[in-house]
Amino acid sequence: MNIQAPIRLSAAEESLASQLDSVGAEGLATLVRDKGLPTRRVESYHYTDLKMLLNDVPPLASAAQAGGAPATDIAGAYRIVVANGIVQNSGTAPAGIAVGTVEGPVMASRDDLIVSLNGALGKQALGLDLTGDVDPVIHVDHRFEGAAAHVLSRTRIAVAAGAKATIIETVSGSDAAHLGNLATHVSLGEGAEVTHIVVDMSALQARQFSNLEYRIEANAKLKSVMINAGAALARAQVFADFVGEGAHSDFLGLNVADTDEHRDITLDISHAVPNTTSTELYKQIVRGRGKGVFQGKITVVKDAQKTDAKMMTQGLMLSDEAEILAKPELVIYADDVVCGHGATCGDLDETSLFYLMSRGIPRADAEVMLIRAFLAEIVDAVENESVSEVLTDIVERWLSKDV
Amino acid sequence: MSDYGIPTLKENIDRETVDQVLALDVDKYKYGFETDIESDMAPKGLDEDTIRFISAKKEEPQWMLDWRLEAFRRWQTMIEPTWARVKYPKIDFQDQHYYAAPKGSSGPKSLDEVDPELLRTYEKLGIPLSEQKILAGVQEDGNGEATPFSGNVAVDAVFDSVSVVTTFRKELAKSGIIFCSISEAVREYPELVQKYLGSVVPVTDNYYATLNSAVFTDGSFVYIPKGVRCPMELSTYFRINERNTGQFERTLIIAEEGSYVSYLEGCTAPMRDENQLHAAVVELVALDDAEIKYSTVQNWYPGDKNGKGGIYNFVTKRGDCRGKNSKISWTQVETGSAITWKYPSCILRGDGSRGEFYSIAISNGHQQVDSGTKMIHLGKNTSSRIISKGIAAGFSDNTYRGQVSCHRKATNARNFTQCDSLLIGDTCGAHTVPYIESRNSSAVFEHEATTSKISDDQMFYCLQRGLSEEEAVALIVNGFVRDVLQHLPMEFMVETQKLIGISLEGSVG
Repeated sequence: MNIQAPIRLSAAEESLASQLDSVGAEGLATLVRDKGLPTRRVESYHYTDLKMLLNDVPPLASAAQAGGAPATDIAGAYRIVVANGIVQNSGTAPAGIAVGTVEGPVMASRDDLIVSLNGALGKQALGLDLTGDVDPVIHVDHRFEGAAAHVLSRTRIAVAAGAKATIIETVSGSDAAHLGNLATHVSLGEGAEVTHIVVDMSALQARQFSNLEYRIEANAKLKSVMINAGAALARAQVFADFVGEGAHSDFLGLNVADTDEHRDITLDISHAVPNTTSTELYKQIVRGRGKGVFQGKITVVKDAQKTDAKMMTQGLMLSDEAEILAKPELVIYADDVVCGHGATCGDLDETSLFYLMSRGIPRADAEVMLIRAFLAEIVDAVENESVSEVLTDIVERWLSKDV
Repeated sequence: MSDYGIPTLKENIDRETVDQVLALDVDKYKYGFETDIESDMAPKGLDEDTIRFISAKKEEPQWMLDWRLEAFRRWQTMIEPTWARVKYPKIDFQDQHYYAAPKGSSGPKSLDEVDPELLRTYEKLGIPLSEQKILAGVQEDGNGEATPFSGNVAVDAVFDSVSVVTTFRKELAKSGIIFCSISEAVREYPELVQKYLGSVVPVTDNYYATLNSAVFTDGSFVYIPKGVRCPMELSTYFRINERNTGQFERTLIIAEEGSYVSYLEGCTAPMRDENQLHAAVVELVALDDAEIKYSTVQNWYPGDKNGKGGIYNFVTKRGDCRGKNSKISWTQVETGSAITWKYPSCILRGDGSRGEFYSIAISNGHQQVDSGTKMIHLGKNTSSRIISKGIAAGFSDNTYRGQVSCHRKATNARNFTQCDSLLIGDTCGAHTVPYIESRNSSAVFEHEATTSKISDDQMFYCLQRGLSEEEAVALIVNGFVRDVLQHLPMEFMVETQKLIGISLEGSVG
């Protein structure tokens, strides 16, 4: 323990460094060569040791044509397909939506390797400018095509003051050991109301990093939902900065993990101005040898008085070999705030099971009922019915999977 | 705080709470005097010769020296941990003395041989070392106040690097209890020391524990034989006196099958501009059905109001519930130290074993606290409870960092954690970093950081009997804490209850 040893680069680190070299990002390449991928010694990667978990990095993706049907079809949605990180022809945009492409990184520079990699290696960003009351749901369909590739996709969504929109991003792709790195920046203008959902449904051989970043102006309302339901290794990072007073956000998320899957949601919320409120609810359900990780950090800066933040994380373990790891963290520098967090972890409640069984429901059915009830809080939080249906469908598919 | 005035307060913060915290301000440190006494010191610096010097001073057997040297070699390959939320300039380990002992006291002797100046020091601190006095009921410190150490308590007094006296040894020996300094234990009970030393905190556990293993000087050794309930409280009082020294305390407590011991620890230091290092290792071993209660009143010098000076308290404390149905409970009242880095832990190895951690950490001035606990559930039907209250004022930072982990085989493990923090003023910070790791589906872990989240059943029970919600919460939380305090010596309880009385209102996660 704590033993100082020279860094020996893994194959994944070597490939990353040379990919960075190939795009001229020498600084970051040096960083990778000096420090390697984050290990458990890096506090924010304590439960997701990338040096151990990321065994290889496939070659950078080349442009591809989107083939086949979408992983999920959302009734009435306006769909934009992004194949291997490149925006495909999206047809005529409905009123209030301006579609374009943006150059350069979409996220603020952070002390985080995954975010930096997206910034350095990504080619093109989808740009969405939303104004007014945007009627159809916007579906950004990220797809990985062909052989295993390192795919960087970027989206920048600017929601104008007073605008309303529901956006869902899905990640899916061919059955190959892709490495996805998605970055989405959503800025909410004053009084904007946004529901933003990201669902990872990538193939089980894939590794997926999803980075969401929110900038929330005064009186804006955000509902953010992150669902990790795909990939062998999935890590979602949710960053949010409250920059205007009177804003409120609900952050929700779900990790479902089977067999040997590793699913991680890491949250970093900063209440930087007074009078902002947020709730955080993240659930995890694991079976087989699945591993669910939730790390949530809420920072309340010195002047952010009257902040009200409530974080809750709940874990449901359906097998003895599964693991749930949680670290709900509060960092508070203002004295007139209400911040709370709670964490629970366990298996299905025997008393509830007994109640259902005493009413003639077979144990297996009773279990499914309780699991559905556990997940409902996340899925039902999405008001748009067609989106909610899609989420329910994903959960049901997972539940009915034979394990 | 006296200089920057009383902070403006939220309406719902209890005034009394604030006054109590202010009364503990760094300016009011009352143990800051220095004792003018000649000392034997090791030359400054740390190398293998320093370790040989310490070992020779302690007249240690060869195996002990080898153990130390091995630890030192490991330590040289290690790097300082940086994950804690504390900031301090790099420590120059070569710029301090690793051994300082009052002249002519190479080890504890009978009371009449001890330098009267030393006895006066302890009397001033409220620790009467004369057994007659204790039995005669002298129960006051120099200021006429009762102290936790003045009751019917056996004391091992550690002054800088040596234990100067251990009281009531003969009395305790009648019950077969061994209570002496660790240096003596190494010489007189080598088989016990060899068997247990380093068995709870391995030599290479962490940077400071390894350093301690190499250079530890003194501390207490307690052995409670099978079936014995220790007839009195045992305690150690640590005092740092010399300049430019570090104190490396090592304590080992072994409770054999079915035994019980309650142990108290207190610590103070003079007020100085320099930062002094206190890197201790405490190991507890509880065998079948044994119970150890370990209480700390940590009152090291916290530095002045500008953050100058104070003790760096980098401590590894760990208890091993090795036997079935054993129990270890840690109670700590932390008000001192410039920096505290301390996680008293329980390894719940034996089936049905139980770990408890009750902590009140109050930080003021420029103090930095990163403290909490670890509950490692390895055995079946193990349970643990964590109650932590952090109160930050002035420019201080107060972090609770706690780990609850459950091993694959720890069927039916159960944990309940509650941590509340309170901020007084807007220049301080309160942080909570729990690590919850569950690897068994039958384990049930609950972590709460708000007063409103006590188990609904308990709340319902209280409310339904006519208590208001607030009264119910206070009743339930105080119930947990008092539960342990009641088992402590009277004076300790009084002192601590003053702090426990702190209102829950206005607290944040």
